[in-house]
Amino acid sequence: MKKYTVYILIAAALLAAIVLPRLLPKPFEKHVLILIMLYSILGSAWNILGGYTGQVSLGHAVFFGIGAYTSSIMLIKWGIVPWVGMLVGGVIATIVSIIIGLPTFKLRGFYFAIATIALGEMTRTLFLNWEWIGGAVGLELPIKRGDKLINLQFYLSKNNYYYVLLGIFLLTILAIYVIQKSKLGYYFRAVKDSHEAALASGIDTARTKLVAMGISAFITAIAGSVYAQYLLYIDPYVVFSSAISTRICLVAILGGEGRLFGPIIGSSILVILSEYSRAWLGGGGKGVDLIIYGTLIVLVAAFQPRGILGMVEMVKAKRQKAVVPNA
Amino acid sequence: MSRILKAIILCSVALVLLVSPAYSKVDVVKIGVIYPLTGTSASTGNDYVAAYQLAADIINNVTNIDFPFAKTVGIPSLGNAKIEFVPADSQGNAEVGKAEAERLITTIKPAALMGCHHSAVTKTASQAAEQYGIPFLCPDSTSPALTERGYEYFFRSGPTDNTFIEDAFQFIADVDKAKGTKTQTVALVSEDTEFGKNILNVEKDLANKLGYKIVETITFANNSTNLSSEVLRLKQANPDVIFMAAYTSDTILFMKTFKEQRYYPRAIIGQRAGFIAPELFQTIGKDADYLFTTNVWAADLGVARPIVKTINDMYKKKTGKDLTGDYARAFTGAFVMADAINRAGSLDPEAIKKALLETNLPGKDLIVPWEGVKFDQKTHQNMYGKTIITQFSNGSYKTVWPLNLASTPVVWPVPGWDKR
Amino acid sequence: MNPFQVLIQTIVNGLLLGSIIALVAIGIAIIRGVMDMVNFAQGEFLMLGMYASYWINVKWNLDPLVSAPITIALMFILGVIVYKVLIARVIEAPMLAQMLLTFGLSIVLVNVGLFLWGSQFKTIPNVLVKGTISIGGVMVSLNALVPALVSLLMAGAVYWFLMKTRMGRAFQATSMNKKAAALVGIDTQTVYALAFGLAAACAGLAGSVLSISYYIFPGVGSVFNLYAFVAVCLGGFGSIPGAFIGGLMIGVSDSLAGFYISAAFKYVVAFGIYLVTVIFKPKGLFGW
Repeated sequence: MKKYTVYILIAAALLAAIVLPRLLPKPFEKHVLILIMLYSILGSAWNILGGYTGQVSLGHAVFFGIGAYTSSIMLIKWGIVPWVGMLVGGVIATIVSIIIGLPTFKLRGFYFAIATIALGEMTRTLFLNWEWIGGAVGLELPIKRGDKLINLQFYLSKNNYYYVLLGIFLLTILAIYVIQKSKLGYYFRAVKDSHEAALASGIDTARTKLVAMGISAFITAIAGSVYAQYLLYIDPYVVFSSAISTRICLVAILGGEGRLFGPIIGSSILVILSEYSRAWLGGGGKGVDLIIYGTLIVLVAAFQPRGILGMVEMVKAKRQKAVVPNA
Repeated sequence: MSRILKAIILCSVALVLLVSPAYSKVDVVKIGVIYPLTGTSASTGNDYVAAYQLAADIINNVTNIDFPFAKTVGIPSLGNAKIEFVPADSQGNAEVGKAEAERLITTIKPAALMGCHHSAVTKTASQAAEQYGIPFLCPDSTSPALTERGYEYFFRSGPTDNTFIEDAFQFIADVDKAKGTKTQTVALVSEDTEFGKNILNVEKDLANKLGYKIVETITFANNSTNLSSEVLRLKQANPDVIFMAAYTSDTILFMKTFKEQRYYPRAIIGQRAGFIAPELFQTIGKDADYLFTTNVWAADLGVARPIVKTINDMYKKKTGKDLTGDYARAFTGAFVMADAINRAGSLDPEAIKKALLETNLPGKDLIVPWEGVKFDQKTHQNMYGKTIITQFSNGSYKTVWPLNLASTPVVWPVPGWDKR
Repeated sequence: MNPFQVLIQTIVNGLLLGSIIALVAIGIAIIRGVMDMVNFAQGEFLMLGMYASYWINVKWNLDPLVSAPITIALMFILGVIVYKVLIARVIEAPMLAQMLLTFGLSIVLVNVGLFLWGSQFKTIPNVLVKGTISIGGVMVSLNALVPALVSLLMAGAVYWFLMKTRMGRAFQATSMNKKAAALVGIDTQTVYALAFGLAAACAGLAGSVLSISYYIFPGVGSVFNLYAFVAVCLGGFGSIPGAFIGGLMIGVSDSLAGFYISAAFKYVVAFGIYLVTVIFKPKGLFGW
């Protein structure tokens, strides 16, 4: 593609993303949009670690929850605005990720994945029994009316939640793009392709993975803070649930792991499917909505193991009758 | 924009404007009910929905029973409009509950919302209702915090954990006096979600205030794989009475483990949830005998009041199961709501809210043994809710406390496994 | 009970729990060992095994222990079908696609269970083996002892099959080097299908013996899944004895921590043991 076509495409997509919530008047539709954006951010963050360096984490809810709890606690206990709490949450999540990463990065593949599940469950248990932060009873965030951006609470129009998330998403994408083009991105790929080869060519693999995990945790925690402001209630079963960890990972894989725009495609499909199938079929109490949801995941995995974007690339490759190298 | 598109949009706008006035007459009153219809609590959620449907059947049709709305069709003041309870699935998840509340509010335009069993879900779902100014009546969640938030549109007809636990301790004091026993030590066992933790906190306060010695406090994981070490701890602490808050799966596992370890204290007093789930008897059969639980309803209340039996029979015909404290509360809530809408005479949320505030239902119009329903003007908590203590016997709950409602003498202390 | 009896009781409880975890874990270990993938739906196969036992009991009044061969056969066939229809497509795909598929499969199976059999908790009444025996004051429940013995036998049988039979050697050859195995005339697709069937059959057996003492409902698999995975990793992926011992270790640590430390933190301790172990032995105790 020529350069200017790319620019036009990007501009059009951006415009569409900005206009979209105004075309969808119903709050439920806006809720779906907000969730899509939220999981796009989470999936992108996961991708930095899982997609680019190949360390599959099934415990990202740890960072999500830390973000949600940090900003909420700071708001409730000390009245600090969530924007500050968000950044502090990000920093704490980064520190935690390094503490987790140092010993566990020796683990490969499933050993690492299972370790992250275990860490997720452990973290939830600790928060359930930590009375100072509300324990199992959870935290209700104080309602601030007036829709001021500084309070990060919007009653009159949910659009604002969407725009905040869109902004974070764009920043995330930009950051990933810059990383991809930098030396760090090259290190990431090297570590993913062959751990030994990367070591041999003098890359500090452990440090590379730690950097990836730190960035990933930071972004995940930021999304967690916004989520807490959106739901206005958190408890350990809500924000540290293994279902969130799994979904973050599914979003990234479904779209095509390790691809810049994979998560937004994965999250659009997953969120729309799960929210609307529940809305239409969930009232029957027979789990039909989840059967459909699960079946789609199975079908994508069985027939398009490289994710949706992988499929698009394959079609393109066939048309050009040339082999497209994996991005 | 092309001309055709413009024309289409103009036409549809005109159509909407033309059609909308026709809707001013109320055909049907929709009430959203949000419950866990999939997941671990799916069974409970679906039985709740059945209770609402039974209420709708009675309200919408002429039924030959002596109960409010039975003799008439629909809501009389709204031109006999039918009432419809629209179920939505919360999956037992706070985020989903809120999303479903919003979806219902903005799509089916319900007159009110009800639900949601899990206190955490009720918290978020009622937030959405508050935000949109739609009345929310909670018949079942017991977390005291719910009515302490100062919400304008939130009402609760059922009693709170405080009432349940105070009554449980009062029951112990009364039965000690009657049976000449002396209960000194208690163990507090709770699952680790919001439900169990709330109860644990209230229990701790009350036990300390009333001078009971807490010999063991256990918080166990919701949906545990195994509970043998918890039971062993209880066995070693050997309390007089065990207080327990658990959902169905854990209750079943606890009872099986108690039996395997051949341990039973003087009494186990459950806090509803798993202890009033119909499956408890279906799964562990006679091993459920002698279990106590705090409750709001039992089939034997029908002995003194035939209407209670009639309605239970109707529910049994529909679902094959007896009502339980949960479903009886929901059924009652449905009538509280119907009564308020009838008095409001409109679907305007403000009018319904005002009518709810003025609610004053006498006890005789309820299937639960309460003095009535009248909401505190500030907290919107029903002031007349009462609890009972039931004891399991042969597959049904027998009311053993308060004494004026008791159908069966209490078995206290409970015989151990080897004496059954 | 005196403190010594309590300690023995705690360990016995832990071993009984551990053997159940091992039952599920062995199935995961077979699949991982032979085809180098992880089946996140193994717990759901267990659930199907439990329901099979339950319905056979309802329809023909057979005790789950008697009907176990039927359940095993049914689950074996199901396993082979699932392999042929779905898994075969991702066997060469990246690990993430395999994960995605088995995740999706587990969601589908849980909800198909919900759809077909409803959400009620069920148990099988009047089982053959019941009651509790007391050995020197230590209580051992017989219907928990059965799964323990079966689990030990199953671990032994699977181990024997893999090590001593011709077919088992073909399994091993395939797991070590697929191409080389194909060169010496092993039909690797058949080996994979049989391995998947074998793993499902193990879950079927686990379901049979577990259904006499546990509640049955569509989500029951998730109750065991996590512990089973941790057990497999602890023992070392792919090692059958490792999965068995890993299961026992998790069970005993759960029981000891639940009693001597705090019930609330027993998962933290069990998972903590896993983490500490793999930090020092990144491939588990017996991994390769």
